[in-house]
Amino acid sequence: MPAILEVDGLQKKYGDFEAVKGISFSVEEGEVFGLLGPNGAGKTQTISMLTGVISPTSGTARIAGHDIDNDLDKVKKINGLVPQDLALYPTLSARANLNFFGRIYGLRGRVLKERVEDVLRIVALTERADEAVEKYSGGMKRRVNIAAGLLHQPRLLFLDEPTVGVDPQSRNHIFESVMRLNRERGMSIVYTSHYMEEVELLCDRVAIIDQGEIIALDTIKNLIAMLGGGVIHVGLPQVDDALLAQLEALPAVAEAAHVPPPTPPPLAEGEEPEAREREEVAPGEVVKILADHSQRAIVNVLSFLNDQDIALTSLEILEPNLESVFLHLTGKKLRE
Amino acid sequence: MTAWHITRKDLQIFLKDRGSLVLLFLMPLLFILVLSGALMEIGGGEQDTRIPLPVIVLDGGQAPRALLDGVDQAGGVRIEMMEEEAAMAQLDESDISRVLVIPADFTEDFEANRQVTLRLISHPEASSEETEAVRLVIDGVASDMSLESQLIASLEQMGQMQAATDVEQPAFTTERIVGQARTQFERSRTQPLVALVERLPGRIAERREEAEDMERFAIPALTVLFVFLTAQTAAQSIYDEKKVGSFRRLLAAPISKASLLLGKMLPAFLMALIQTAVTFAFGIFGLRLIGLTPLTLGSSPLGVVLVAVAVALCTSGLGILIAAIARTESQIGGLSNVLLWAMGIVGGGIVPLFLLESFLGPVPKVVPHYWAIRAYNDLMIRGLGLADVTIEIAVLLGFSGLFFAVGLWRFEYD
Repeated sequence: MPAILEVDGLQKKYGDFEAVKGISFSVEEGEVFGLLGPNGAGKTQTISMLTGVISPTSGTARIAGHDIDNDLDKVKKINGLVPQDLALYPTLSARANLNFFGRIYGLRGRVLKERVEDVLRIVALTERADEAVEKYSGGMKRRVNIAAGLLHQPRLLFLDEPTVGVDPQSRNHIFESVMRLNRERGMSIVYTSHYMEEVELLCDRVAIIDQGEIIALDTIKNLIAMLGGGVIHVGLPQVDDALLAQLEALPAVAEAAHVPPPTPPPLAEGEEPEAREREEVAPGEVVKILADHSQRAIVNVLSFLNDQDIALTSLEILEPNLESVFLHLTGKKLRE
Repeated sequence: MTAWHITRKDLQIFLKDRGSLVLLFLMPLLFILVLSGALMEIGGGEQDTRIPLPVIVLDGGQAPRALLDGVDQAGGVRIEMMEEEAAMAQLDESDISRVLVIPADFTEDFEANRQVTLRLISHPEASSEETEAVRLVIDGVASDMSLESQLIASLEQMGQMQAATDVEQPAFTTERIVGQARTQFERSRTQPLVALVERLPGRIAERREEAEDMERFAIPALTVLFVFLTAQTAAQSIYDEKKVGSFRRLLAAPISKASLLLGKMLPAFLMALIQTAVTFAFGIFGLRLIGLTPLTLGSSPLGVVLVAVAVALCTSGLGILIAAIARTESQIGGLSNVLLWAMGIVGGGIVPLFLLESFLGPVPKVVPHYWAIRAYNDLMIRGLGLADVTIEIAVLLGFSGLFFAVGLWRFEYD
């Protein structure tokens, strides 16, 4: 499959702060590609650069062969954007909103009318299309938000966190719509989310992004395979290099590494540092064990700790999913 | 064309916003009603609606008395006798708008059927309508006096000639007498014994005149004040668009930034024009219906339209500037309130310019409101023409350019 999107060293800086750190990836025609990362990872900034909302500081990208710097008008006609915000006019009806966005993309007359009816059908809102958007539920607003991005039948659709604040029923509807657009209309989709379940369900390949960098990019199957036979987090009172070496030497253990403690959030207004210290759990550290075989590794580790008379403060066996991959790669949870 | 779609959408949204409609259209009318009524009382209003006419009489004979009695009986003009020195000083200080000078040899020349000239000295910025009304009244009375004098002289002459001729062969037939009367009528029309010339003093001021026109003054001033408030609507609309994310969506669409901003600016421009038209229409037709002095478009409706366009441009530019400077919704509200109301008050939107200038000096000139109100006053109250407000229009366009330049320089699209 040819690539519809090729990103090469894309960077965005605000003063000294580097929001996107020279990322590179490509999306194949007809693919659903996921950008998974926590809030503030740089997903929206990346999409904003690819859709022409902001200019990159350096690097470039080509969409269907057109450079985003030199051929932005053509790129904009190929792209569709469903922004994270509900980018609609609340006092206007869904139909009026869609008519407006259709006209912005140059649609007129019968074609516009047909396209509006088409996208209303896709998001199942035909019957309530003439009501003011402000009267809709959060889920319905999200669906109109998606519909507005589909009017000009884009080849490449950017869906930026499309399910934020959506009820389960509308979320399922959005998932179905995305899968149908991809399957029936061959639309290529870049889907950003910090919900790993959504990405696992919808995407063929995923780029995991954190602090402006892509830290892993592969199919979901291969990403989960990075966890090997499983990942175990063992809490211990004290960890040193010698202990890590002994753990790593145990049968069925592929790797043992010290997990740095998470950075505490800044003090809230009025919060006293002493109170924070009193609340903290007993001092301890976490060792991440990458296992060849998780069950055998657990038995061996527990046996070793028992023999060494080292008390166990916690034990966590990570499920083989993208959340665990992210934790494995960054030491942080996706929604931290 | 794409910009027009944005404009149309914004107008659609605006028409659904009843609060803004009330603020932009009903509030100015309410203010005009209240202030016009109040200012009419301050300005003297119905106590004596006659146009005051200071008169300097340099002649001690009977003819000036006859002329002034005639003017007084004609109605509409109130005679105020003044000494020459005091009258000229007050005219220079613009405490009076015009003065009539009756020359020293008026009675002698008049009785000898020699042409005499009255001088009506009017201030450069005095209401041209009032000056014309005064001129017509004086002219009418003077023509009557000329005709009367010339007819009497002619009849006396005919009587003398008749007495000297043979009774059987009269010097004047009926046809000849009628012909002579026609000749005298024509002569009194084309060569009046009393001619009126207008002369303008050199200094410019407008206090007295504005005091006399205070109820009419309120309409252009309040119109300008409220039209500039549409700048807040424009800024708020841009902020809302950014806040809900639709601005981002539009930036991702195949539309240039210039079209996007033009589309956001046009509604404010059109709203300002519509608001001006509605308010002036109310001033022209509405005030008459409720018994207040109506406004007129003056002698140059084109000038009024051009000033309205310049004000609307200025308002739109100010909207972009506020949107560029303010970062939050409360900043837009705060900045608009401080900026637009303060500029409006300093620029003469509430307190008449001649009062403001007496204690603020040249300060009002730093805001566009001042120039807009001055231009409207010149055109609609003083009856001046388009050529007389070119400076005001140029200054307003200058302010527009400045607001747009700074606004676009500071504007953040993302």
